[in-house]
Amino acid sequence: MSRHLPSICAGLVLLLMWQLAHLSFGLSGLPGPMAAFAALPELISDADALYDIGQSLQRMAAGYLLAAAFGISFGLLMGTSPLAERLLNPLIMMIYPIPKAALMPILMIWLGIGDMSKILVIFLGSSLPIIYHSWQGGRSVSQIVVWSAAAMGMNRAQRLFRIVLPAALPEIFIGLRTGLILALITMVVSEIVARSNGIGNLLFNSMDMALYDRMFAAIIIIAAMGYALDLIFEAIRRRFLRWSDQQDQIQVAVG
Amino acid sequence: MIAIEHLSKRFKTAAGKDHLALSDINLELQSGEFVSIIGPSGCGKSTLLYMIGGFVPASDGKILIDGRPVTGPGPDRGPVFQEFALFAWKTVLQNIAYGLRLQGKSKPEAEERARVLLRMVGLERFANFYPKELSGGMKQRVAIARTLAYNPEILLMDEPFGALDAHTRTHLQRDLLRIWEEHRKTVLFVTHSVEEAVYLSDRVIVMAAGPGRIARIIPIELERPRQRSELMFDRRYQEYITEIEGMIDAFEAAAA
Ligand SMILES: Nc1ncnc2c1ncn2[C@@H]1O[C@H](COP(=O)(O)OP(=O)(O)OP(=O)(O)O)[C@@H](O)[C@H]1O
Ligand SMILES: [Mg+2]
Repeated sequence: MSRHLPSICAGLVLLLMWQLAHLSFGLSGLPGPMAAFAALPELISDADALYDIGQSLQRMAAGYLLAAAFGISFGLLMGTSPLAERLLNPLIMMIYPIPKAALMPILMIWLGIGDMSKILVIFLGSSLPIIYHSWQGGRSVSQIVVWSAAAMGMNRAQRLFRIVLPAALPEIFIGLRTGLILALITMVVSEIVARSNGIGNLLFNSMDMALYDRMFAAIIIIAAMGYALDLIFEAIRRRFLRWSDQQDQIQVAVG
Repeated sequence: MIAIEHLSKRFKTAAGKDHLALSDINLELQSGEFVSIIGPSGCGKSTLLYMIGGFVPASDGKILIDGRPVTGPGPDRGPVFQEFALFAWKTVLQNIAYGLRLQGKSKPEAEERARVLLRMVGLERFANFYPKELSGGMKQRVAIARTLAYNPEILLMDEPFGALDAHTRTHLQRDLLRIWEEHRKTVLFVTHSVEEAVYLSDRVIVMAAGPGRIARIIPIELERPRQRSELMFDRRYQEYITEIEGMIDAFEAAAA
């Protein structure tokens, strides 16, 4: 209980500030938390809304899993091959500062406003921290650990998958966690830019129709999704890293 | 048998210059021999070991193991490093069984042999611990067991007890000697402790720096099995130590 106390307090403070803002501004576009939460049950029992959430999660999962598979391979390649590192490092540095959601218009022209462009932008939005941390993780694997494996008779490919990958895992998970939240953000933005369905579309439709309670309820759902995903992620990470010193250290890596 | 002929190693420094780390090393090790290498920091002891292990290529000369040139790492040569280098994501038992699994042994078979080794290093109660849950001395025991498990003919030990406290060190030295008496592997053992070198070895190689080279080879003619407590009162033991320490001081003075 005492472990959760700070989070509960933080949540209450947030709600209180919201309520105060609602009372002091008196805008129709800023309903109070009560109204927003009251709109929640209707929203999540609405089949269309559930469909939207499902679509969002599906695209996010596709983009994120692609980013994870690609980012880990790419990053470990950079981390273990000096040649790959020299070639790819400038590329990464160039792509790094571009807000990936800004690429959405181009992707829409190429791929339309359907799933493809959105999955691709989620992939782009979440892969960089995964690449970066896999790269750093791969580089920092101790040489003598790899040598110990080589002496046992492991070939290069075996060493990459059975030594470098697990040894870099604590660092890779830091990248995966940042990537997860970025995937959520890019997912919502992509649906706001290319409106066909999804939770971001639902949010803006509610705004267009001046259903502000519903709009805030959608925001609550997005926030809850992010929170739940992060909790699930942490549980998975802990399971995978039982052996590691970093196991209990919860790192909030932003950006 | 290990034969090292005219071996040298050059490194390229970041500034682009050539740095001669080892120059014209010639050495022969008989099977089952215990040889220690001692010398000032930076004289190339680790580099020599890494080249024999096949982890680092030679610049010149060659290394022959039973007549065959070394071209890369192989399970005939087992390294043990000062920093343990255990697989942190595997349990103690899995670490030790890993090499056997790679040699195609079944899981129960590999684990059974791993347990035998674990008992030999006195850690049978820690089979399911992760390396992070062990002390330094325990980690080094696991590292030694892991290497012994795949049964290399040659052990390449780079300051294996350097990071341990004096008490643990004495224990592990005794254990290593006991295991060596039993299995008679060829051991090449790098250390900074003259006492340790004399206590363990058949021969002590004294190296000098700038460039790294073999300065002297001293046969240690003390009977085996050796007891540390008895050696303490053995004049010859003390004389070896004094002689070698004097040599190292002289080489260092000459280099300065
Ligand atoms: N990867 C490398 N690149 C460049 N120079 C190196 C490299 N590895 C070692 N050297 C150089 O080679 C020389 C020998 O290094 P080495 O680590 O073998 O010494 P050592 O005798 O093991 O020292 P210590 O007792 O401190 O462990 C040193 O001068 C070092 O600067
Ligand atoms: Mg060294």
